Amino acid sequence: MSSHAGTIDHHHDHTTSTGIPNKKLFMWAFLASDCMFFGALISSHLIYRLHPPPGSPDASKIFSIELTSFSTFILLMSSLLMALAVNSLQKGQVKSTRRNLLGTIFFGLIFLACQVYEFSHFVHEQGLTLSNSVFGSTFYTLTGTHGCHVAIGVLWLVLMYIRSFKPADADEGRAWLLKSFLHLIVFGVTVVAAMASMLGLVHAYQTGDGFGGFLHHHPLTFAVTLAGLTALWFLGRSKGQVDFGEANAIDVESMGLYWHFVDIVWIVIFTAVYLLEYL
Amino acid sequence: MASHAAHSPELHHADSHAHESKFHIFVQIAMILAVITGVEIVLIYLPLYKWLVVSSLIILSTVKFLLVIFYFMHLRWDKLFCTILFFIGLLLAGGTAWALLLLFGAEASAPIEAVQATLRHLA
Repeated sequence: MSSHAGTIDHHHDHTTSTGIPNKKLFMWAFLASDCMFFGALISSHLIYRLHPPPGSPDASKIFSIELTSFSTFILLMSSLLMALAVNSLQKGQVKSTRRNLLGTIFFGLIFLACQVYEFSHFVHEQGLTLSNSVFGSTFYTLTGTHGCHVAIGVLWLVLMYIRSFKPADADEGRAWLLKSFLHLIVFGVTVVAAMASMLGLVHAYQTGDGFGGFLHHHPLTFAVTLAGLTALWFLGRSKGQVDFGEANAIDVESMGLYWHFVDIVWIVIFTAVYLLEYL
Repeated sequence: MASHAAHSPELHHADSHAHESKFHIFVQIAMILAVITGVEIVLIYLPLYKWLVVSSLIILSTVKFLLVIFYFMHLRWDKLFCTILFFIGLLLAGGTAWALLLLFGAEASAPIEAVQATLRHLA
């Protein structure tokens, strides 16, 4: 059941000794520890760049600044949508929150698809693997760990989106559990099919086959994507009151903190790992 | 969890206005972040001194970092303790990275010529 807007103080909790909601405090403590984790990975990469062993690849010839800039822009905009999702739920606007969550998921997936494409391009066309140079080892470990964080964030966003459909009527609990499980499965299948379709489409255009060539080589993937999107639209239709509203804003805010953290880590990686290679 | 304080219509209106203005703040911050990213990309192609470009990139990234944590992550509106907690982790991470870079960036840490020659031979 959706509570009325403006009845909850979202920045102060008078029931805890710190005045901060426990979920938020936990998340900030976790993010502080994650800073140290990424600090170690980024410095390892930079140290090996200071003294590259003989035969090290020239990173500026491998990287694609256009692709990385696009990924950075996408991640920044996903952060905006995440902030708007939190803002919407703090006002008790569930539909707007769902739309913003879906937008964040979509942008997060585009970022992941760009990373999959980048890694695939580096391995198959540039010959840069995890084990054939120190540069490859530190680069893939750092950006791969960040990518795992993004993937976990996307999964969390999907689960929160599905959670927003929980009916207020407790009698519908078991049916909702089954429906939400189906929702998650459909989401997973659609995401995998959509990413495979997107990569297939990019490959088709690169080889000059165009959309016709893509359809000829990947008819099943494209069909599954379309069927999955239709099923998601069907499952996303909401009827009746839901047990999701302003009181859940702290859950979405904690998730938002994690998502923004992923964004700030990328801000550092973009400068320290990518841009500095061009100087 | 959070308190349920009674709100007058005026307070309710003020709260709704605060949320509305936050929407505009978030959009403006996102635009600033996009512009700074564009400036960073242009900077690396400009024929400027390397130290100037590196310093500018570090400053611009720090500005982006601070904008995200203080506005998108609500640190500006939250209790100071959240900021202190996060900055403890950040300072420990930054200090460790700084120390490692100074240690391994020093002349004495460079691989010695004999080792380099052997590696070159093996390669």
